[in-house]
Amino acid sequence: MAAPTEDEFLREKHIKFFNRCIDVLPHQYSTMDTNRLTILFFAISGMEILNSLDTIKNKKEEIVDWIYSHQVLPNESASNLSNCGFRGSATIGAKFNPTQTSCEAAIAYDSGHIAQTYTGLLCLIILGDELTRVNRRALSAGLRALQLEDGSFKATLEGSENDMRFVYCASSICYVLDDWTGFDVDRAAHYIYRSQSYDGGIGQGPGLESHGGSTFCAIASLVLMDRLHMTFSRVELDRIREWCLLRQQTGFQGRPNKPTDTCYSFWVGATLKLLDAYDLINQHANRTFVLSTQDTVTGGFAKWPDHHPDALHAYFGICGLSLLGEEGLGKMNPALNISDAAAQHLDKIHQTWRAS
Amino acid sequence: MQIKDVYDYLRALLRKDERSERALEITEDAIDLNPANYTVWHYRRQILKELKMDLYDELKYCGEIIQEHPKNYQVWHHRRVLIEWTQDPKEELKLTENVLSVDAKNYHAWQHRQWVVRTFSIWENELSFIDQLLQEDVRNNSAWNQRYFVIYHTTGFNDAVLEKEVKYAQDMIRKAPNNESSWNYLRGALLEKDLSTHPGLMEFCEELYGKSVRSPYLLGFMREIYEDRLEQGCENVEDVLYKSLVLVEALAMEFDTIRVEYWNYIGRRMRERYAPKNDESEEAGAASAAMEVPAK
Repeated sequence: MAAPTEDEFLREKHIKFFNRCIDVLPHQYSTMDTNRLTILFFAISGMEILNSLDTIKNKKEEIVDWIYSHQVLPNESASNLSNCGFRGSATIGAKFNPTQTSCEAAIAYDSGHIAQTYTGLLCLIILGDELTRVNRRALSAGLRALQLEDGSFKATLEGSENDMRFVYCASSICYVLDDWTGFDVDRAAHYIYRSQSYDGGIGQGPGLESHGGSTFCAIASLVLMDRLHMTFSRVELDRIREWCLLRQQTGFQGRPNKPTDTCYSFWVGATLKLLDAYDLINQHANRTFVLSTQDTVTGGFAKWPDHHPDALHAYFGICGLSLLGEEGLGKMNPALNISDAAAQHLDKIHQTWRAS
Repeated sequence: MQIKDVYDYLRALLRKDERSERALEITEDAIDLNPANYTVWHYRRQILKELKMDLYDELKYCGEIIQEHPKNYQVWHHRRVLIEWTQDPKEELKLTENVLSVDAKNYHAWQHRQWVVRTFSIWENELSFIDQLLQEDVRNNSAWNQRYFVIYHTTGFNDAVLEKEVKYAQDMIRKAPNNESSWNYLRGALLEKDLSTHPGLMEFCEELYGKSVRSPYLLGFMREIYEDRLEQGCENVEDVLYKSLVLVEALAMEFDTIRVEYWNYIGRRMRERYAPKNDESEEAGAASAAMEVPAK
């Protein structure tokens, strides 16, 4: 077989790469304990955008059950409502219980994690589940308990850092649940507004350095809340656009004077899509950079050329190429970070909910 | 102990919510295996509180884990909770300085440092620390950000401070004119001001331009000064517009070609906003055609 050329997109290898990611998930691998759902999300959403979900057709049901088993359910007295969400793993001893929507007794220290709730819900949508086993009231209550005075969110009830990542997770969860009662929109929007830095970009919080990841989280949150133009003025949006466009070197960097990294072709690229400015980037240079980080042997993408691929960069490499309209890839919904097809499935679920 | 043994043991203790020395030890083993397990850290804190453990020992332990895993969210959060408990920030500047000496742009370290400096009002040596970092690497964007943070929360950008900060940024730009961070700082410090009327800005740009500097940030800054003049309703509109379009074309075609589409867009936008609209006047049409930036 001839060696692949530098600008060849190796679709089949990436499908295999994600399949391997899914296969290791149930194994004992403690460093993954707190984020198994996130790794599953990278693999499943990646396969969906590669139009290859049918390669796991036989496992779909099993995976859906496995995801549901991560839902922290309210007990009979609902005294643990604030703990509800999806947990990262069953490490602390939750029973495998995929069919229930409530539980008899809550386990001590058992609570959801906002990022796992976000990725768990998205996985279910991508797999075509109708979200019938999601306890929406409990998730909404769990989310409400996580918002802080300054409008930002912490990740777990027990306490964690709070930043823009979790504002984005919260916005996505509310959007998916079609229920914003767990979320003070005004305060969250104000937190985002205060996090715009002097250079135009947006940091993880007020005073913090602008960053491609937090800028995405901020803008995507405002889009999901339908608050973008109420929050930032025309001039402020122009400055955010320019900051994002200045991140392009060949691919994109996450901060000024940092090296380019595959994942920012999505984070910054998707932000520019949401700000109607994606057509102002240099698409050719971006594609060439992303493909230079493709692992031509194992599939997947690394953050830099000649580095080891990982699930995160494999996923965002694919996403970055999808934004560019790469042949063979599904289109993306940049705000929700899933395929257009999955977002349409969610729309249908919303219609059913609203009709009932 | 193997992974399975550690977690089986941990699960058993968690179920009982046992707060004992052996439970504390097992959390250490579990953290060793996965420092990102937030439940384990939280459980550990409950035990520390209950047993009234020496928090300075815990700070030492936490510091070691931070050095090992400087990009782990959970351990930095643990650190912050410990400092909230002890209300003693005296090790924190040193700790973050150590982490930053390995990776000067570590976001967690800066975030923790900002929290400490602000919560305990330890502002006095911060500017000289930043200055030292910028002497080492004038492109350290995190350090520039910290500079803005310190000024913003202490004196604010009053006229005297602004003058000093503008001069500071300009000196740094002279050393490395192609450094986005120092230009961003200059622009950010002047955010509330009109670029076209603030004294000395165009002179500074012309000084660099005269020395053949063609940094895209210089050309972009000059363009913005011109646009501000147009925005303020200057008299010689066509002349100013023409000058700015020449800059835009230079950016698009020669000095910032990766952003050719962007600069062309900016050129179009400026023409739309500021080109004289004498309706059917052929002259105006010809002038605006002459200003047209050629497509790639």
